[in-house]
Amino acid sequence: MSAPRVSLFVVDTGPLITLAAADSLDYLLFPNVPVVIPDAVFYEATRDVGKLGAQSVINWVKAHHAEIEIAVTEIYTIYDAARQVNPAVRMPHMGEQAAIEVIEEPGRLQGDDVAILLCEEAAITRRITINQPDSIVEMTTMDLLRALEREQRINSADAVFERAEKSGRSPSRIEKFGDHDPEIRDAVRETLASLQKGYGGRAER
Amino acid sequence: MTNAEADALLERYSRADITAAELRRRLGNISYADVIIELGKRNLPLPRASEKGREERLAKAHAWLFPHVT
Repeated sequence: MSAPRVSLFVVDTGPLITLAAADSLDYLLFPNVPVVIPDAVFYEATRDVGKLGAQSVINWVKAHHAEIEIAVTEIYTIYDAARQVNPAVRMPHMGEQAAIEVIEEPGRLQGDDVAILLCEEAAITRRITINQPDSIVEMTTMDLLRALEREQRINSADAVFERAEKSGRSPSRIEKFGDHDPEIRDAVRETLASLQKGYGGRAER
Repeated sequence: MTNAEADALLERYSRADITAAELRRRLGNISYADVIIELGKRNLPLPRASEKGREERLAKAHAWLFPHVT
């Protein structure tokens, strides 16, 4: 029997920010399975490029655009349209709703397809209506790092968290992220806008 | 919210007693980057969720990600 087709869905900003703060975003690619980031999660992680980790996430997605899918969602499209009218508009839990929308998208998980949901805590699957609950498993960032450690793909899961923690304690490290490329924000906006234009099928890879 | 209340919430999050979503909401919808910075200011570690009770699911995820293990 062939192995199931596995995808890794990053369903909230936590894993992206934690791994970016630890300079370890590439660890998401180590299992060598497609990585899917809902557009709203990508937006939330990068909307303030002066924040810890944001620019690293942008640079990482740009560098690995062939391996990472930014998945288009209706919730983010609606938010983006509302933001044009009222820049102060807020949409609580948009990232989570976008993640649910992507996973429930018809045709996303077919046949023996399975999904790993990477999140900061295991709580999202109870909000997902899916015909095959056995095809989805949640992992936290630390769960994934421990799996990589057991596979001897990284030396120490705890060391990654310690680097992220140290990054949060380091004023110079935090300030470094404020020294961002002013063109980055426009690049993010253009990327998400171009994805929305193609909305109707799966997002660009 | 007082600083003491914020400290208490961050300590609870660091012990994995509350979720990041709850912490962020109760601290005024701060970003996750701010969570890391606020933990750092207080020398609190990021939470390490226990695998207890989730062993079977995690073993399944591990086998999916690294199929040679099975």
